[in-house]
Formats: sequence, structure tokens, C-alpha cells
Amino acid sequence: MKRRSLLQSALGTGGLLSLGGCALNPLGQEVAQLTRPLNERIEAWMQATTPVPEFKRNQVEPAALLVNSFNGIPEINLDNFSLTVDGLVQQPQQLGLSTLGQLPQQEIVIRHVCVEGWAAIVAWGGVRLADVLRLAEVSPLAGYVAFESADGYFETWDLRTALHPQTLLATQMNGAPLPVANGAPLRLTSPLKLGYKLSKWITAIHVLDTLNPHRLGTWEDQGYEWYAGL
Amino acid sequence: MESQHHHPLWTRTLHACNGALLIGMASSGLQIYNANPVFGGRAGEPIPSLFTLGGWLAGGRWWHFGLMGVFAFVLGSWLLLLMQWRRQRLGRGGDLETLSASANAKKRNYAIHKILYTLMLVVLSLALLTGLAMYKPATLWWLSGWFGSWQQLRVLHFATVPVMGVLVLGHVLLSLKLGGLRLLRTISW
Repeated sequence: MKRRSLLQSALGTGGLLSLGGCALNPLGQEVAQLTRPLNERIEAWMQATTPVPEFKRNQVEPAALLVNSFNGIPEINLDNFSLTVDGLVQQPQQLGLSTLGQLPQQEIVIRHVCVEGWAAIVAWGGVRLADVLRLAEVSPLAGYVAFESADGYFETWDLRTALHPQTLLATQMNGAPLPVANGAPLRLTSPLKLGYKLSKWITAIHVLDTLNPHRLGTWEDQGYEWYAGL
Repeated sequence: MESQHHHPLWTRTLHACNGALLIGMASSGLQIYNANPVFGGRAGEPIPSLFTLGGWLAGGRWWHFGLMGVFAFVLGSWLLLLMQWRRQRLGRGGDLETLSASANAKKRNYAIHKILYTLMLVVLSLALLTGLAMYKPATLWWLSGWFGSWQQLRVLHFATVPVMGVLVLGHVLLSLKLGGLRLLRTISW
């Protein structure tokens, strides 16, 4: 048996594979276009409309929560801060932080999962996004929600996940006021979406009937998956 | 040995397709690994780009989640087919006895081979289950719960790559031992 020739052909195959890998990289987009619509449909079909089980308060992992930002931390003047809710709604809103504070407050202890692969159990406190949208009286024609942030970050969601009882506009983290680096004064949180869907420093919510395929979100427009469900 | 028949075309085709599929899943997975190394996090050592597929995080995810459905389908069909019709290919307790008791070297080799083959299916099933547990940790919360902490889940999912590497190497070496280079040839091309 010619071990040397076998070894040589194995090494040769390895070299070809790595070359092939680089050559295959541009093909990835095609693979995604072919498979992503079905994946996203299955994800939406799987996802629960009822609450998912939560962790215990003593399981939170403050050190595991890393901070990601695409453009640093924006300056927000809290004195005249208000959240805009408009689009396909009967009652467009300008909600100050004190108004939001009067809505029912909820704490969820969930796993925050980053697209990069890390995760952290966090206790988020705030108001249910569903309650805020209810104030604005969402039109039955609506299907999507867009979020604008003070740093220019942009996101769009399916309305169903936006209305989920564990989707919050958070003002608290692990029992303390939400730190600015984590999105104060207002950020999105939900156990059902990857971290890049969970916009920080939210200033406006637009209710939509359709999505602009070229403006799905800051990272989605670069090639990240839109649904990004957990 | 002299009358070694050529493996049917479908055996060779399946070997080639399954090999490509596993390399695609592993290399795109290692690309995702590099966004936040399982060992050491942001300070951790990345996998050399020689072994990665996709070029960047989203590129790795396009491939990994693009091939995921095919991988699940192929593995599922394989398991079903084997359980239904080709049970004799799977390892069983008797193979372990053969391994420790039989003096017949060839018999022992076949027993090892069957055990290796079965272990591959077990490891690939683990790769699929840990992958699903990380893909849908909220929806499949009960599945994620099986594997302990998030870090344990990530380590398990990653570990299926080197373990499969070793098993495939063993599979190839044993094929060589059992049927010589000719058997390997008849299987691969």
C-alpha cells in the first residue's frame, strides 16, 4: 500500500478544498436566496404566540452580556425625549418617559442571544410593546413594525412578534435603570429575536402594511436574515 | 479480495455528496465560530480561514442555514432507512463482544467498522440536535434544556466537528485495511 501517495493525495485534496472554499464564498448569497424564504416561513410557523418559559432571577449573567454598537453611543436629551408611534394607526402618539412609566410594567428573565454565538441571561424590565401599540390603535391592515433609533440604526419586525406578550420596550436591566450603553432610555427586548433585531435608543415606531425589500434593517440590508427568530 | 466488485454508482455518489455536505456544514460552522470563538470569546483564537467557508459571519450563516435543511433531511432518511432495512450495518452489543473475544482479525475489523459507522450517525444526530437547540433556544426551550448551559451547548456542537473528523479518518483507514486501496477506490470514484 502506498501510504505516501495516499498522504499526498489527501494533502492535495485539502489544498483544493481550501481554494474551493474561497471560490465558493460568492455563491453563498445564492444559497441564501434559495433557502432563506423557506427557513423564514418555518421559523414563523414554529414560533409560539404564548409566553415562552423564563429563567429564574438568580440565573442572570451580567458579565456575559457584551455590548455591540454599529456606531458608538448616541447623545440623547432626556428632557424633551418622546417616543413617536405613527404609520398605520388610528391614534398617532408622542409618548414621554413618564407616560410610558404609567403603563403596566413587566419583568422578563430571558436569554439574550447574539448572532455572533454568545448569549446571556438577562432580566429586562419595561412596558409591553403590545400595550404601546394598543394605545395607538393599530390598523387591521398592518403587518409590520419599523423601529428607528437615535444612532441611525433601523429595524423592521413582523407584527406578530411585536405583539408577543414578552416583547418589551425596556427601561430596566437586571433590576437597575437601563445603562446608556445597553440602549437607555428605551430599547427593544424579546426572547424570540436575535440581538441585532433588538434595537437600542429607540425614538420612533412606524406601523406598516408592507416592507421595502431594500430597507429591512441596518444589518439585514448587508445580508443578515430578516426574521431571525429564536 | 481478487473478486472485489465495483461499488454501485449510487454508493459512490452518496459518498461524494455526503462528504461535500459534511465539509460544507463544518467549514461554514467554523466561520460562524470565528465571530465569537467558543474558547475564549472575543479574545479567543479564531479558526484559520483555510478551514472556513463564507468569508464573514453572514456568509457563514448563508451556507450553514442553507445546507442545514439538506443535512437534516439526509441524516433523517439515512437513520430511517437503516432502522427499516439495513439494520445489519449498525453496530450492536455483539460487536463489542467480538471485539474483546474474537481471535479472528478480520471479524474484529468488521466489528470496529460497524461500531465506527454507528458512532458517526450518533455524533451527526448530536450535531443536529445541539444545532437546533442553539438555532431555536426559545421555541425549543425543552431541547436547549437537555444540554445544560449555553457554553456547554456551544462546546458540544463544536465538538462534533473534530469527533467526526476522527471517525471519518478511522472509517477511511479501516476501509483500507479491510479492502485495500482498491476498496477505497471503488467507493470513492
